[in-house]
Amino acid sequence: MGSASVAIRRSLADEERKLRLVQRQGEIDTYSPKALADLRTWVEEHPADPYADEAKERHDECVETLRQLDEPFYDWSDDEIESLETFNET
Amino acid sequence: MPDSEARTAREEWGTRFGFLMAMLGAMVGAGNIWRLPYTTGQNGGGVFLLAYVLLLFLIAIPGLMAETMLGRYTQKGVVGSFREIVGDDLYSGLSLVVVLVNVGVMSYYAPVIGWTMYYAANSLLLTFFQSGFEAAAFWNSFTGSPVLTVGTHPVTMAAIAVVLAFGIRRGIERVVKYLIPFLIVALVAVSIRGLTLPGGMKGLAFVFTPDWSHLLRGDTWVAALGQALFSTGLGWGIALTYGSYLRKYDDVPLGGGVFTAVGNTSIGLLAIFAVFPVVFAFGLEPASGAQLTFVSLVKVFPKLLGGQAWAIVFFLGFFAATFTSGIAITEVGVTTVAEETRLSRTQSVAAVVATIWLIGLPSAYSSEFLGAMDYVFGNFGFPFATLTIILLVGWKFGPERARVIDVNRSTDLYVGRWWNGIVKYVIPVVIAFILGYGAINSIGTENQTLMMGGIALMVVLSLGSVLVMKFVSEPTPTESTSSTVQRGD
Repeated sequence: MGSASVAIRRSLADEERKLRLVQRQGEIDTYSPKALADLRTWVEEHPADPYADEAKERHDECVETLRQLDEPFYDWSDDEIESLETFNET
Repeated sequence: MPDSEARTAREEWGTRFGFLMAMLGAMVGAGNIWRLPYTTGQNGGGVFLLAYVLLLFLIAIPGLMAETMLGRYTQKGVVGSFREIVGDDLYSGLSLVVVLVNVGVMSYYAPVIGWTMYYAANSLLLTFFQSGFEAAAFWNSFTGSPVLTVGTHPVTMAAIAVVLAFGIRRGIERVVKYLIPFLIVALVAVSIRGLTLPGGMKGLAFVFTPDWSHLLRGDTWVAALGQALFSTGLGWGIALTYGSYLRKYDDVPLGGGVFTAVGNTSIGLLAIFAVFPVVFAFGLEPASGAQLTFVSLVKVFPKLLGGQAWAIVFFLGFFAATFTSGIAITEVGVTTVAEETRLSRTQSVAAVVATIWLIGLPSAYSSEFLGAMDYVFGNFGFPFATLTIILLVGWKFGPERARVIDVNRSTDLYVGRWWNGIVKYVIPVVIAFILGYGAINSIGTENQTLMMGGIALMVVLSLGSVLVMKFVSEPTPTESTSSTVQRGD
Protein backbone atom coordinates (compact mmCIF):
# COMPACT_ATOMS: atom_id res chain seq x y z
CA MET A 1 0.00 0.00 0.00
CA GLY A 2 2.96 2.26 0.71
CA SER A 3 4.27 1.71 -2.83
CA ALA A 4 0.92 2.69 -4.34
CA SER A 5 0.84 5.88 -2.27
CA VAL A 6 4.38 6.77 -3.32
CA ALA A 7 3.57 6.05 -6.98
CA ILE A 8 0.42 8.19 -7.03
CA ARG A 9 2.05 11.05 -5.13
CA ARG A 10 5.01 11.08 -7.51
CA SER A 11 2.76 10.78 -10.57
CA LEU A 12 0.50 13.65 -9.51
CA ALA A 13 3.43 15.85 -8.47
CA ASP A 14 5.12 15.30 -11.84
CA GLU A 15 1.90 16.11 -13.67
CA GLU A 16 1.47 19.30 -11.69
CA ARG A 17 5.03 20.37 -12.52
CA LYS A 18 4.59 19.47 -16.20
CA LEU A 19 1.36 21.50 -16.37
CA ARG A 20 2.99 24.47 -14.66
CA LEU A 21 5.92 24.38 -17.07
CA VAL A 22 3.70 23.95 -20.13
CA GLN A 23 1.49 26.87 -19.06
CA ARG A 24 4.54 29.08 -18.49
CA GLN A 25 6.71 28.03 -21.45
CA GLY A 26 4.24 26.62 -23.97
CA GLU A 27 6.04 23.26 -24.14
CA ILE A 28 8.41 20.99 -22.24
CA ASP A 29 11.17 18.52 -23.03
CA THR A 30 9.88 15.03 -23.75
CA TYR A 31 12.94 12.86 -23.03
CA SER A 32 15.37 12.67 -20.12
CA PRO A 33 19.13 12.80 -20.88
CA LYS A 34 19.37 9.00 -20.64
CA ALA A 35 16.23 8.40 -22.75
CA LEU A 36 17.32 10.87 -25.44
CA ALA A 37 20.75 9.24 -25.61
CA ASP A 38 19.05 5.84 -26.03
CA LEU A 39 16.89 7.24 -28.81
CA ARG A 40 19.87 8.71 -30.64
CA THR A 41 21.89 5.53 -30.32
CA TRP A 42 18.99 3.47 -31.64
CA VAL A 43 18.54 5.73 -34.68
CA GLU A 44 22.27 5.58 -35.43
CA GLU A 45 22.25 1.79 -35.18
CA HIS A 46 19.05 1.40 -37.25
CA PRO A 47 19.14 4.07 -39.94
CA ALA A 48 17.03 2.01 -42.35
CA ASP A 49 14.36 1.04 -39.82
CA PRO A 50 10.83 2.03 -40.89
CA TYR A 51 10.46 3.91 -37.59
CA ALA A 52 13.79 5.75 -37.91
CA ASP A 53 12.27 8.91 -39.39
CA GLU A 54 9.73 9.17 -36.63
CA ALA A 55 12.42 8.55 -34.01
CA LYS A 56 14.59 11.28 -35.57
CA GLU A 57 11.65 13.68 -35.57
CA ARG A 58 10.96 13.02 -31.88
CA HIS A 59 14.65 13.37 -31.05
CA ASP A 60 15.05 16.63 -32.91
CA GLU A 61 11.85 18.07 -31.53
CA CYS A 62 13.12 17.43 -28.01
CA VAL A 63 16.52 18.98 -28.77
CA GLU A 64 14.96 22.10 -30.28
CA THR A 65 12.54 22.42 -27.39
CA LEU A 66 15.36 22.12 -24.87
CA ARG A 67 17.22 24.97 -26.56
CA GLN A 68 14.24 27.28 -26.15
CA LEU A 69 13.28 26.43 -22.58
CA ASP A 70 14.17 28.37 -19.47
CA GLU A 71 13.44 25.42 -17.25
CA PRO A 72 13.43 21.83 -18.55
CA PHE A 73 11.29 19.18 -16.90
CA TYR A 74 14.06 16.62 -16.77
CA ASP A 75 17.41 17.10 -15.09
CA TRP A 76 19.34 18.69 -17.98
CA SER A 77 22.44 20.82 -17.35
CA ASP A 78 23.23 23.77 -19.63
CA ASP A 79 26.35 21.97 -20.84
CA GLU A 80 24.37 18.89 -21.77
CA ILE A 81 21.85 20.95 -23.72
CA GLU A 82 24.61 22.83 -25.53
CA SER A 83 26.25 19.60 -26.60
CA LEU A 84 23.06 18.25 -28.20
CA GLU A 85 22.73 18.14 -31.96
CA THR A 86 19.72 17.44 -34.12
CA PHE A 87 20.12 14.82 -36.83
CA ASN A 88 20.04 17.59 -39.45
CA GLU A 89 23.05 19.20 -37.82
CA THR A 90 25.21 16.08 -37.75
CA MET B 1 -21.14 16.05 -30.67
CA PRO B 2 -21.18 16.42 -34.47
CA ASP B 3 -19.81 13.47 -36.37
CA SER B 4 -17.00 15.44 -38.00
CA GLU B 5 -15.84 16.70 -34.61
CA ALA B 6 -15.87 13.16 -33.20
CA ARG B 7 -13.64 11.97 -36.03
CA THR B 8 -11.06 14.72 -35.89
CA ALA B 9 -10.71 15.57 -32.19
CA ARG B 10 -9.88 12.54 -30.10
CA GLU B 11 -10.78 12.90 -26.46
CA GLU B 12 -8.15 13.02 -23.72
CA TRP B 13 -8.19 12.42 -19.99
CA GLY B 14 -8.81 15.69 -18.20
CA THR B 15 -6.42 14.99 -15.33
CA ARG B 16 -3.74 12.55 -14.32
CA PHE B 17 -5.79 11.60 -11.27
CA GLY B 18 -8.73 10.76 -13.52
CA PHE B 19 -6.61 8.42 -15.66
CA LEU B 20 -5.09 6.71 -12.62
CA MET B 21 -8.47 6.19 -10.98
CA ALA B 22 -9.89 4.87 -14.26
CA MET B 23 -7.05 2.34 -14.56
CA LEU B 24 -7.47 1.30 -10.95
CA GLY B 25 -11.24 1.09 -11.31
CA ALA B 26 -10.84 -1.04 -14.41
CA MET B 27 -8.56 -3.57 -12.77
CA VAL B 28 -10.16 -3.76 -9.32
CA GLY B 29 -13.26 -5.92 -9.48
CA ALA B 30 -15.13 -8.69 -7.76
CA GLY B 31 -12.01 -10.90 -7.80
CA ASN B 32 -10.17 -8.50 -5.50
CA ILE B 33 -12.93 -8.69 -2.90
CA TRP B 34 -13.73 -12.41 -2.88
CA ARG B 35 -10.83 -14.16 -4.67
CA LEU B 36 -7.51 -12.69 -3.52
CA PRO B 37 -8.15 -13.19 0.23
CA TYR B 38 -9.19 -16.80 -0.29
CA THR B 39 -6.42 -17.62 -2.80
CA THR B 40 -3.86 -16.14 -0.41
CA GLY B 41 -5.11 -18.16 2.52
CA GLN B 42 -5.21 -21.39 0.51
CA ASN B 43 -1.71 -21.10 -0.96
CA GLY B 44 0.57 -20.58 1.97
CA GLY B 45 -0.46 -17.09 3.11
CA GLY B 46 2.61 -14.89 3.26
CA VAL B 47 4.50 -17.24 0.92
CA PHE B 48 1.84 -16.79 -1.74
CA LEU B 49 1.96 -13.01 -1.30
CA LEU B 50 5.75 -13.07 -1.71
CA ALA B 51 5.45 -15.06 -4.94
CA TYR B 52 2.63 -12.85 -6.11
CA VAL B 53 4.48 -9.57 -5.50
CA LEU B 54 7.62 -10.96 -7.16
CA LEU B 55 5.66 -11.94 -10.26
CA LEU B 56 3.77 -8.68 -10.19
CA PHE B 57 7.01 -6.75 -10.60
CA LEU B 58 8.55 -9.25 -13.00
CA ILE B 59 5.60 -9.69 -15.34
CA ALA B 60 2.49 -7.60 -14.71
CA ILE B 61 4.15 -4.20 -14.42
CA PRO B 62 6.33 -4.52 -17.55
CA GLY B 63 3.34 -5.99 -19.42
CA LEU B 64 1.04 -3.15 -18.43
CA MET B 65 3.71 -0.65 -19.50
CA ALA B 66 3.80 -2.33 -22.92
CA GLU B 67 0.04 -2.36 -23.35
CA THR B 68 -0.54 1.22 -22.18
CA MET B 69 2.32 2.40 -24.39
CA LEU B 70 0.73 0.77 -27.40
CA GLY B 71 -2.43 2.82 -26.93
CA ARG B 72 -0.60 6.06 -26.16
CA TYR B 73 1.66 5.59 -29.20
CA THR B 74 -1.03 4.77 -31.75
CA GLN B 75 -3.77 6.94 -30.17
CA LYS B 76 -6.17 4.24 -31.30
CA GLY B 77 -8.25 1.42 -29.84
CA VAL B 78 -7.46 -2.28 -30.13
CA VAL B 79 -8.18 -2.87 -33.83
CA GLY B 80 -6.65 0.46 -34.91
CA SER B 81 -3.49 -0.21 -32.89
CA PHE B 82 -2.97 -3.61 -34.45
CA ARG B 83 -3.51 -2.21 -37.93
CA GLU B 84 -1.12 0.64 -37.30
CA ILE B 85 1.67 -1.68 -36.13
CA VAL B 86 1.30 -4.61 -38.53
CA GLY B 87 -0.67 -3.07 -41.41
CA ASP B 88 -2.96 -5.48 -43.21
CA ASP B 89 -0.97 -8.48 -42.01
CA LEU B 90 -3.10 -11.50 -41.00
CA TYR B 91 -1.99 -10.85 -37.43
CA SER B 92 -4.09 -7.70 -37.28
CA GLY B 93 -7.13 -9.95 -37.67
CA LEU B 94 -6.52 -11.25 -34.17
CA SER B 95 -7.27 -7.80 -32.80
CA LEU B 96 -10.95 -8.55 -33.25
CA VAL B 97 -10.59 -11.57 -30.95
CA VAL B 98 -9.38 -9.27 -28.17
CA VAL B 99 -12.49 -7.12 -28.61
CA LEU B 100 -14.77 -10.16 -28.79
CA VAL B 101 -13.23 -11.59 -25.61
CA ASN B 102 -14.09 -8.34 -23.83
CA VAL B 103 -17.65 -8.47 -25.13
CA GLY B 104 -17.91 -12.13 -24.09
CA VAL B 105 -16.54 -11.42 -20.61
CA MET B 106 -18.82 -8.46 -20.12
CA SER B 107 -21.81 -10.59 -21.08
CA TYR B 108 -21.39 -12.60 -17.88
CA TYR B 109 -19.77 -9.92 -15.73
CA ALA B 110 -22.76 -7.59 -16.20
CA PRO B 111 -25.07 -9.94 -14.25
CA VAL B 112 -22.45 -10.04 -11.45
CA ILE B 113 -22.55 -6.22 -11.37
CA GLY B 114 -26.34 -6.62 -11.19
CA TRP B 115 -25.94 -8.78 -8.06
CA THR B 116 -23.78 -6.15 -6.35
CA MET B 117 -26.21 -3.41 -7.38
CA TYR B 118 -29.14 -5.40 -5.97
CA TYR B 119 -27.32 -5.95 -2.68
CA ALA B 120 -26.21 -2.32 -2.50
CA ALA B 121 -29.81 -1.23 -3.02
CA ASN B 122 -31.04 -3.64 -0.35
CA SER B 123 -28.38 -2.46 2.08
CA LEU B 124 -29.74 1.06 1.61
CA LEU B 125 -33.29 -0.21 2.18
CA LEU B 126 -32.03 -1.94 5.37
CA THR B 127 -33.50 -5.24 4.12
CA PHE B 128 -30.80 -7.28 5.89
CA PHE B 129 -31.95 -5.91 9.24
CA GLN B 130 -35.64 -6.74 9.04
CA SER B 131 -36.90 -9.26 11.57
CA GLY B 132 -36.98 -12.81 10.24
CA PHE B 133 -34.50 -12.00 7.47
CA GLU B 134 -32.59 -15.10 6.29
CA ALA B 135 -29.41 -14.38 4.29
CA ALA B 136 -29.22 -17.77 2.53
CA ALA B 137 -32.92 -17.76 1.62
CA PHE B 138 -32.60 -14.19 0.34
CA TRP B 139 -29.62 -15.15 -1.86
CA ASN B 140 -31.34 -18.28 -3.14
CA SER B 141 -34.57 -16.46 -3.90
CA PHE B 142 -32.63 -13.75 -5.75
CA THR B 143 -30.48 -16.10 -7.85
CA GLY B 144 -33.44 -18.42 -8.40
CA SER B 145 -35.68 -15.64 -9.65
CA PRO B 146 -35.20 -14.89 -13.36
CA VAL B 147 -37.34 -11.79 -12.91
CA LEU B 148 -34.72 -10.34 -10.56
CA THR B 149 -31.51 -11.62 -12.17
CA VAL B 150 -32.64 -10.91 -15.72
CA GLY B 151 -34.31 -7.71 -14.52
CA THR B 152 -31.14 -6.22 -13.01
CA HIS B 153 -29.17 -6.99 -16.18
CA PRO B 154 -30.66 -4.18 -18.36
CA VAL B 155 -30.46 -1.76 -15.42
CA THR B 156 -26.72 -2.45 -15.17
CA MET B 157 -26.15 -2.07 -18.89
CA ALA B 158 -28.27 1.09 -19.03
CA ALA B 159 -26.24 2.64 -16.20
CA ILE B 160 -23.00 1.80 -18.00
CA ALA B 161 -24.40 3.18 -21.25
CA VAL B 162 -25.25 6.49 -19.61
CA VAL B 163 -21.71 6.87 -18.26
CA LEU B 164 -20.05 5.87 -21.55
CA ALA B 165 -22.32 8.09 -23.64
CA PHE B 166 -20.82 11.11 -21.88
CA GLY B 167 -17.38 10.09 -23.13
CA ILE B 168 -13.98 9.74 -21.50
CA ARG B 169 -13.64 12.98 -19.59
CA ARG B 170 -17.25 13.85 -18.80
CA GLY B 171 -18.37 10.24 -18.39
CA ILE B 172 -15.76 7.72 -17.21
CA GLU B 173 -13.42 10.17 -15.52
CA ARG B 174 -16.15 12.00 -13.67
CA VAL B 175 -17.50 8.72 -12.23
CA VAL B 176 -14.24 6.99 -11.27
CA LYS B 177 -12.84 10.11 -9.57
CA TYR B 178 -15.48 9.63 -6.89
CA LEU B 179 -16.18 5.88 -6.90
CA ILE B 180 -12.59 4.64 -6.46
CA PRO B 181 -11.68 6.90 -3.52
CA PHE B 182 -15.06 5.91 -2.02
CA LEU B 183 -14.19 2.22 -2.46
CA ILE B 184 -10.85 2.72 -0.69
CA VAL B 185 -12.44 4.63 2.19
CA ALA B 186 -15.16 1.97 2.45
CA LEU B 187 -12.63 -0.86 2.68
CA VAL B 188 -10.52 1.01 5.23
CA ALA B 189 -13.62 1.67 7.36
CA VAL B 190 -14.78 -1.95 7.26
CA SER B 191 -11.20 -3.10 7.99
CA ILE B 192 -11.03 -0.98 11.11
CA ARG B 193 -14.34 -2.38 12.29
CA GLY B 194 -13.26 -5.96 11.52
CA LEU B 195 -9.88 -5.69 13.23
CA THR B 196 -11.47 -4.40 16.40
CA LEU B 197 -13.76 -7.44 16.65
CA PRO B 198 -12.82 -10.14 19.18
CA GLY B 199 -10.99 -12.84 17.21
CA GLY B 200 -10.63 -10.64 14.13
CA MET B 201 -6.85 -10.87 14.15
CA LYS B 202 -7.11 -14.63 13.56
CA GLY B 203 -8.29 -13.82 10.04
CA LEU B 204 -5.12 -11.92 9.30
CA ALA B 205 -3.07 -14.71 10.80
CA PHE B 206 -4.79 -17.19 8.44
CA VAL B 207 -3.97 -15.06 5.41
CA PHE B 208 -0.55 -13.72 6.24
CA THR B 209 1.19 -16.41 8.27
CA PRO B 210 3.69 -17.91 5.84
CA ASP B 211 3.49 -21.64 5.34
CA TRP B 212 6.94 -22.27 3.86
CA SER B 213 5.99 -25.74 2.64
CA HIS B 214 4.08 -23.97 -0.16
CA LEU B 215 7.19 -22.23 -1.47
CA LEU B 216 8.31 -25.14 -3.64
CA ARG B 217 4.83 -26.24 -4.71
CA GLY B 218 3.95 -25.64 -8.35
CA ASP B 219 0.36 -24.82 -7.45
CA THR B 220 1.43 -21.85 -5.33
CA TRP B 221 3.37 -20.32 -8.21
CA VAL B 222 0.69 -21.05 -10.78
CA ALA B 223 -1.92 -19.42 -8.53
CA ALA B 224 0.39 -16.44 -7.99
CA LEU B 225 1.00 -16.21 -11.75
CA GLY B 226 -2.70 -16.28 -12.49
CA GLN B 227 -3.40 -13.64 -9.86
CA ALA B 228 -0.52 -11.38 -11.00
CA LEU B 229 -1.48 -11.64 -14.65
CA PHE B 230 -5.24 -11.59 -14.60
CA SER B 231 -6.19 -9.55 -11.55
CA THR B 232 -4.20 -6.68 -13.04
CA GLY B 233 -6.13 -6.90 -16.31
CA LEU B 234 -2.95 -7.28 -18.34
CA GLY B 235 -3.58 -7.78 -22.04
CA TRP B 236 -7.35 -7.41 -22.05
CA GLY B 237 -7.18 -4.30 -24.23
CA ILE B 238 -8.28 -2.03 -21.38
CA ALA B 239 -4.86 -0.49 -20.69
CA LEU B 240 -4.41 -0.09 -24.45
CA THR B 241 -7.79 1.64 -24.81
CA TYR B 242 -7.41 3.89 -21.77
CA GLY B 243 -3.80 4.60 -22.77
CA SER B 244 -4.98 5.79 -26.17
CA TYR B 245 -6.63 8.77 -24.47
CA LEU B 246 -3.39 9.91 -22.81
CA ARG B 247 -1.74 13.15 -23.87
CA LYS B 248 1.71 13.77 -25.32
CA TYR B 249 3.20 14.85 -21.99
CA ASP B 250 1.64 12.00 -19.98
CA ASP B 251 3.80 9.29 -18.46
CA VAL B 252 3.19 5.60 -19.18
CA PRO B 253 5.52 3.47 -16.98
CA LEU B 254 4.74 4.91 -13.55
CA GLY B 255 0.98 5.40 -13.95
CA GLY B 256 0.02 2.74 -16.49
CA GLY B 257 2.47 0.16 -15.12
CA VAL B 258 3.60 0.56 -11.52
CA PHE B 259 0.63 2.41 -10.04
CA THR B 260 -2.00 0.29 -11.78
CA ALA B 261 -0.49 -3.02 -10.67
CA VAL B 262 0.56 -1.98 -7.18
CA GLY B 263 -2.66 -0.03 -6.57
CA ASN B 264 -4.72 -3.01 -7.63
CA THR B 265 -2.77 -5.22 -5.23
CA SER B 266 -3.17 -2.70 -2.44
CA ILE B 267 -6.93 -2.77 -2.81
CA GLY B 268 -6.79 -6.59 -2.77
CA LEU B 269 -4.86 -6.40 0.50
CA LEU B 270 -7.35 -3.90 1.87
CA ALA B 271 -10.10 -6.38 1.00
CA ILE B 272 -8.23 -9.02 3.02
CA PHE B 273 -8.18 -6.65 5.98
CA ALA B 274 -11.87 -5.88 5.46
CA VAL B 275 -13.23 -9.38 4.96
CA PHE B 276 -11.09 -11.88 6.85
CA PRO B 277 -11.24 -10.45 10.38
CA VAL B 278 -15.05 -10.54 10.09
CA VAL B 279 -14.95 -14.07 8.65
CA PHE B 280 -12.86 -15.40 11.54
CA ALA B 281 -14.53 -13.34 14.24
CA PHE B 282 -17.82 -15.01 13.35
CA GLY B 283 -16.49 -18.45 12.38
CA LEU B 284 -17.50 -18.26 8.70
CA GLU B 285 -16.18 -20.52 5.94
CA PRO B 286 -13.37 -18.52 4.28
CA ALA B 287 -13.38 -20.50 1.02
CA SER B 288 -16.93 -19.93 -0.06
CA GLY B 289 -16.31 -17.34 -2.79
CA ALA B 290 -19.43 -15.44 -3.86
CA GLN B 291 -21.40 -17.08 -1.04
CA LEU B 292 -18.98 -15.54 1.43
CA THR B 293 -19.91 -12.05 0.31
CA PHE B 294 -23.59 -12.45 -0.42
CA VAL B 295 -24.57 -14.84 2.36
CA SER B 296 -22.02 -15.08 5.15
CA LEU B 297 -21.19 -11.40 5.46
CA VAL B 298 -24.85 -10.45 5.19
CA LYS B 299 -25.52 -12.66 8.21
CA VAL B 300 -22.81 -10.89 10.15
CA PHE B 301 -23.72 -7.24 9.58
CA PRO B 302 -26.82 -7.30 11.84
CA LYS B 303 -24.60 -8.58 14.65
CA LEU B 304 -22.25 -5.60 14.42
CA LEU B 305 -22.78 -2.40 16.31
CA GLY B 306 -23.93 0.09 13.67
CA GLY B 307 -24.30 -2.84 11.25
CA GLN B 308 -26.59 -0.93 8.87
CA ALA B 309 -23.88 1.62 8.17
CA TRP B 310 -21.20 -1.06 7.66
CA ALA B 311 -23.44 -3.01 5.29
CA ILE B 312 -24.19 0.11 3.24
CA VAL B 313 -20.52 1.11 3.05
CA PHE B 314 -19.38 -2.42 2.15
CA PHE B 315 -21.95 -3.12 -0.56
CA LEU B 316 -21.75 0.33 -2.13
CA GLY B 317 -17.97 -0.09 -2.24
CA PHE B 318 -18.35 -3.56 -3.72
CA PHE B 319 -20.72 -2.18 -6.35
CA ALA B 320 -18.23 0.61 -7.15
CA ALA B 321 -15.49 -2.00 -7.73
CA THR B 322 -17.55 -4.06 -10.16
CA PHE B 323 -19.23 -1.14 -11.92
CA THR B 324 -15.97 0.65 -12.78
CA SER B 325 -14.58 -2.61 -14.21
CA GLY B 326 -17.73 -3.02 -16.29
CA ILE B 327 -17.31 0.49 -17.66
CA ALA B 328 -13.72 -0.29 -18.72
CA ILE B 329 -14.48 -3.66 -20.31
CA THR B 330 -17.35 -2.16 -22.30
CA GLU B 331 -15.25 0.85 -23.35
CA VAL B 332 -12.84 -1.48 -25.21
CA GLY B 333 -15.67 -2.35 -27.61
CA VAL B 334 -17.08 1.18 -27.73
CA THR B 335 -13.76 2.81 -28.69
CA THR B 336 -13.21 0.16 -31.37
CA VAL B 337 -16.69 0.45 -32.88
CA ALA B 338 -16.56 4.26 -32.83
CA GLU B 339 -13.22 4.20 -34.66
CA GLU B 340 -13.81 1.39 -37.09
CA THR B 341 -17.34 2.18 -38.23
CA ARG B 342 -19.24 5.27 -39.24
CA LEU B 343 -21.25 5.22 -36.00
CA SER B 344 -20.95 8.17 -33.62
CA ARG B 345 -19.82 7.53 -30.05
CA THR B 346 -23.39 7.55 -28.77
CA GLN B 347 -24.46 5.10 -31.46
CA SER B 348 -21.42 2.93 -30.72
CA VAL B 349 -22.30 2.87 -27.02
CA ALA B 350 -25.86 1.83 -27.90
CA ALA B 351 -24.67 -0.88 -30.28
CA VAL B 352 -22.08 -2.40 -27.92
CA VAL B 353 -24.29 -2.19 -24.83
CA ALA B 354 -27.26 -3.73 -26.68
CA THR B 355 -25.05 -6.57 -27.94
CA ILE B 356 -23.69 -7.28 -24.47
CA TRP B 357 -27.17 -7.12 -22.97
CA LEU B 358 -28.48 -9.61 -25.53
CA ILE B 359 -25.70 -12.18 -25.26
CA GLY B 360 -25.64 -11.70 -21.49
CA LEU B 361 -29.22 -12.87 -21.06
CA PRO B 362 -28.31 -16.58 -20.66
CA SER B 363 -25.76 -15.71 -17.95
CA ALA B 364 -28.29 -13.48 -16.21
CA TYR B 365 -30.83 -16.28 -16.34
CA SER B 366 -28.61 -19.19 -15.29
CA SER B 367 -25.73 -19.09 -12.82
CA GLU B 368 -24.52 -22.45 -14.23
CA PHE B 369 -24.19 -20.87 -17.67
CA LEU B 370 -22.42 -17.89 -16.08
CA GLY B 371 -19.97 -20.26 -14.39
CA ALA B 372 -19.26 -22.04 -17.68
CA MET B 373 -18.62 -18.71 -19.44
CA ASP B 374 -16.33 -17.66 -16.61
CA TYR B 375 -14.37 -20.88 -16.94
CA VAL B 376 -14.00 -20.62 -20.71
CA PHE B 377 -13.10 -16.93 -20.88
CA GLY B 378 -11.07 -16.89 -17.67
CA ASN B 379 -8.94 -19.87 -18.64
CA PHE B 380 -8.70 -19.41 -22.39
CA GLY B 381 -10.16 -16.07 -23.53
CA PHE B 382 -8.10 -13.75 -21.34
CA PRO B 383 -4.78 -15.59 -21.70
CA PHE B 384 -5.27 -15.68 -25.47
CA ALA B 385 -6.05 -11.94 -25.60
CA THR B 386 -3.04 -11.17 -23.39
CA LEU B 387 -0.77 -13.30 -25.56
CA THR B 388 -2.04 -11.56 -28.70
CA ILE B 389 -1.33 -8.06 -27.36
CA ILE B 390 2.03 -8.89 -25.79
CA LEU B 391 3.23 -10.61 -28.97
CA LEU B 392 2.26 -7.49 -30.89
CA VAL B 393 4.64 -5.39 -28.77
CA GLY B 394 7.30 -8.06 -28.25
CA TRP B 395 7.54 -9.50 -31.75
CA LYS B 396 5.82 -7.12 -34.18
CA PHE B 397 6.58 -3.62 -32.89
CA GLY B 398 9.79 -4.71 -31.15
CA PRO B 399 10.46 -3.93 -27.49
CA GLU B 400 13.66 -1.90 -27.95
CA ARG B 401 12.02 0.23 -30.63
CA ALA B 402 8.97 0.71 -28.39
CA ARG B 403 11.14 1.50 -25.37
CA VAL B 404 13.29 4.18 -26.94
CA ILE B 405 10.59 5.83 -29.06
CA ASP B 406 7.60 5.85 -26.75
CA VAL B 407 7.89 4.11 -23.36
CA ASN B 408 10.52 6.56 -22.16
CA ARG B 409 8.86 9.58 -23.74
CA SER B 410 7.59 12.03 -21.08
CA THR B 411 8.14 9.28 -18.53
CA ASP B 412 8.27 9.74 -14.77
CA LEU B 413 10.27 6.52 -14.49
CA TYR B 414 13.10 5.56 -16.86
CA VAL B 415 12.75 2.03 -18.23
CA GLY B 416 15.99 0.22 -19.03
CA ARG B 417 16.83 -2.57 -21.47
CA TRP B 418 15.82 -5.23 -18.94
CA TRP B 419 12.24 -4.55 -20.08
CA ASN B 420 12.88 -5.89 -23.60
CA GLY B 421 13.55 -9.50 -22.61
CA ILE B 422 10.57 -9.61 -20.28
CA VAL B 423 8.16 -8.38 -22.95
CA LYS B 424 9.63 -10.46 -25.73
CA TYR B 425 10.25 -13.77 -23.99
CA VAL B 426 9.18 -14.03 -20.35
CA ILE B 427 5.54 -12.90 -20.57
CA PRO B 428 4.67 -14.92 -23.71
CA VAL B 429 6.26 -18.07 -22.25
CA VAL B 430 4.43 -17.60 -18.95
CA ILE B 431 1.06 -17.10 -20.66
CA ALA B 432 1.59 -20.08 -22.95
CA PHE B 433 2.48 -22.11 -19.85
CA ILE B 434 -0.70 -21.01 -18.05
CA LEU B 435 -2.82 -21.85 -21.09
CA GLY B 436 -1.23 -25.29 -21.37
CA TYR B 437 -1.31 -25.93 -17.62
CA GLY B 438 -5.02 -25.07 -17.44
CA ALA B 439 -5.82 -27.35 -20.36
CA ILE B 440 -3.78 -30.31 -19.12
CA ASN B 441 -5.06 -29.99 -15.56
CA SER B 442 -8.67 -30.17 -16.70
CA ILE B 443 -8.19 -33.48 -18.52
CA GLY B 444 -10.17 -36.19 -16.80
CA THR B 445 -12.10 -33.71 -14.67
CA GLU B 446 -15.64 -32.37 -14.95
CA ASN B 447 -14.18 -29.35 -16.78
CA GLN B 448 -12.70 -31.36 -19.65
CA THR B 449 -15.63 -30.64 -21.97
CA LEU B 450 -15.54 -26.97 -21.11
CA MET B 451 -11.79 -26.91 -21.77
CA MET B 452 -12.25 -28.44 -25.20
CA GLY B 453 -15.12 -26.04 -25.87
CA GLY B 454 -12.97 -23.10 -24.75
CA ILE B 455 -10.11 -24.04 -27.04
CA ALA B 456 -12.50 -24.65 -29.93
CA LEU B 457 -14.16 -21.27 -29.30
CA MET B 458 -10.81 -19.47 -29.40
CA VAL B 459 -9.86 -21.24 -32.64
CA VAL B 460 -13.19 -20.39 -34.25
CA LEU B 461 -13.04 -16.77 -33.04
CA SER B 462 -9.48 -16.42 -34.34
CA LEU B 463 -10.22 -17.83 -37.77
CA GLY B 464 -13.46 -15.87 -38.02
CA SER B 465 -11.77 -12.64 -36.91
CA VAL B 466 -8.92 -13.01 -39.37
CA LEU B 467 -11.39 -13.62 -42.20
CA VAL B 468 -13.67 -10.76 -41.20
CA MET B 469 -10.79 -8.33 -40.79
CA LYS B 470 -9.32 -9.35 -44.12
CA PHE B 471 -12.48 -8.36 -45.96
CA VAL B 472 -13.89 -5.45 -43.98
CA SER B 473 -10.98 -3.62 -42.43
CA GLU B 474 -10.45 -0.90 -45.04
CA PRO B 475 -10.28 2.33 -43.01
CA THR B 476 -12.50 5.22 -44.07
CA PRO B 477 -10.70 8.24 -45.54
CA THR B 478 -11.72 10.44 -42.58
CA GLU B 479 -10.19 8.00 -40.10
CA SER B 480 -6.92 7.92 -41.98
CA THR B 481 -6.74 11.69 -41.99
CA SER B 482 -7.42 12.00 -38.30
CA SER B 483 -4.97 9.25 -37.32
CA THR B 484 -2.09 10.85 -39.19
CA VAL B 485 -2.60 14.10 -37.39
CA GLN B 486 -3.20 12.69 -33.94
CA ARG B 487 -0.41 10.30 -33.00
CA GLY B 488 0.70 11.93 -29.84
CA ASP B 489 2.38 14.75 -31.68
